[in-house]
Amino acid sequence: MEFELKETLLYVENLSVAYDDVVIIKDINLTEKDVVRKDVENTGQIIAVIGRSGRGKSTFFKALTGLVPLHSGKILIKDFESTDASAAKIVKEGDIGFVDQKYTLFRHKTVAQTLKFALKKTKLTDSEKETKIKEYVKKWGLENCIDKYPNELSGGQRQRTAIIEQLFSSEKFIIMDEPFSGLDVGNIEEVKNAIDLLCDSSEYNTVIFSTHNIGLAIDLAQVIYIIGYPTINGKLQNYGTIVAKYDLREMGIAWNDKYTDHAKLHKEIVHQMMIS
Amino acid sequence: MIKKLITPFEKIARSQKTIILIVWIVFLLLLWFFGTSGQKHLFPNPSQVLEGFKGLYNEGLVVHIFNSLKLCFISIFLATLIALMFAYLWPIPMLKPVSEFITKLRFLPFTGLSFYITLIIHEARNMQIWIMVIFLTTFLTTSLISVIKDIPQEEFDHAKTLKCNRWEVLWQVIVLGRIDYVIDSIRQNLAITWMMLVTVESIVVASGGLGFLIKNSDKFMNHGRIIALQMIILLIGLLLDLGINYIRKAIFRYSKI
Repeated sequence: MEFELKETLLYVENLSVAYDDVVIIKDINLTEKDVVRKDVENTGQIIAVIGRSGRGKSTFFKALTGLVPLHSGKILIKDFESTDASAAKIVKEGDIGFVDQKYTLFRHKTVAQTLKFALKKTKLTDSEKETKIKEYVKKWGLENCIDKYPNELSGGQRQRTAIIEQLFSSEKFIIMDEPFSGLDVGNIEEVKNAIDLLCDSSEYNTVIFSTHNIGLAIDLAQVIYIIGYPTINGKLQNYGTIVAKYDLREMGIAWNDKYTDHAKLHKEIVHQMMIS
Repeated sequence: MIKKLITPFEKIARSQKTIILIVWIVFLLLLWFFGTSGQKHLFPNPSQVLEGFKGLYNEGLVVHIFNSLKLCFISIFLATLIALMFAYLWPIPMLKPVSEFITKLRFLPFTGLSFYITLIIHEARNMQIWIMVIFLTTFLTTSLISVIKDIPQEEFDHAKTLKCNRWEVLWQVIVLGRIDYVIDSIRQNLAITWMMLVTVESIVVASGGLGFLIKNSDKFMNHGRIIALQMIILLIGLLLDLGINYIRKAIFRYSKI
């Protein structure tokens, strides 16, 4: 499918994170641009990050969301508040939404209270907030549980609430740490639909998720990054970095329902993971 | 059937559980009746205990219970306020050692501290209250800090991703997010409170109370009264426990502790 890359949305340069002088991830560089497809109103960006356990995926996500201090490097995102289309800002806590594996929510807030709280720091008026909440609750099928607490929600309802909450607060970027972990087929479809819904609702919406399910990554993502230990001068290092990138748009796989032969790519990804 | 009842981890029906409970209660009552029917017995028999109840009632048992409960509630209220302050200050690095220090004080002996309190406070009722408050504060602070320590990191990160500053994280995740746990901590420490209360009332005699009654009964070796009092104290303690748990569940719908 014909597509075009526009302005940069996410720029990561020489990123490294260390805990107590132990380097967890290092030398991570990536650039993600707004993708525009012909005859498609909105095409959000879907990026998958895969890698073996302990290679630093979660640390990478925490760095992207500003939850851990950077040892070196920088992370920039498009500044949507600026009139200059190429304006960027350094990421700080709250700029990029983060949905963890457990779909954590405030245990003492109902869905309505949760969504209202997520919009607290936006510049919307009270009535605009109400309208926005109503609109999303309807679109995401949460009308019947608006007054429920997290412990009264089903897994799917909880996931959708967590995603909308982060979308409201961060606006355009959402990181999902292993959103498919431990889910049954039905729930997996629900999360996939939620991601599609996100990407269809705004041109700039960008979803970055990690998964151990390579098939799902190929199905959903436009770009796949593999985080693993690099081999330098024949020696396997013990910090995580991006060891491979697959641009499924360029490969003709993204948005291509006819592409069903995942086996070759799957095999290659597994190989990359095993050597890193 | 019987084999199932004495095999570890076997699942049994609700009705069977009820039957087991009834059997144990009947066994206990029979043991009490028959075990105390002879001439010599260490434990008072049911009629002695009944006499004890009557005597206590005539001596104003209800007023004494009211006094004990009043002391209990005032102490819990004050201790909770102080303990909450220390617990909420715990996440602040500069003040963390102070809160930690308070928790260590729970190992202090009761008598030594009461000596110093006697020097400062001269009115018996206030003395009782402050002895209780000081000791309860140490236990409650320990429980509340433990609640905070158990909060998963994801909850703090979640609040941060919603653009909450550090004080808002403290307010949302710890203060509002764990308010039901405060009630549960009070409930869990109620046994210590109740036990301590009776002891304090018997050491520092002020306006009566159950501890005062026990001390008096003890003095005259009135076994029937002592057991009657123990039963009343146990029953009130259990009722308070049930009541607090009910309040927690009724107020906080989301609370599933």
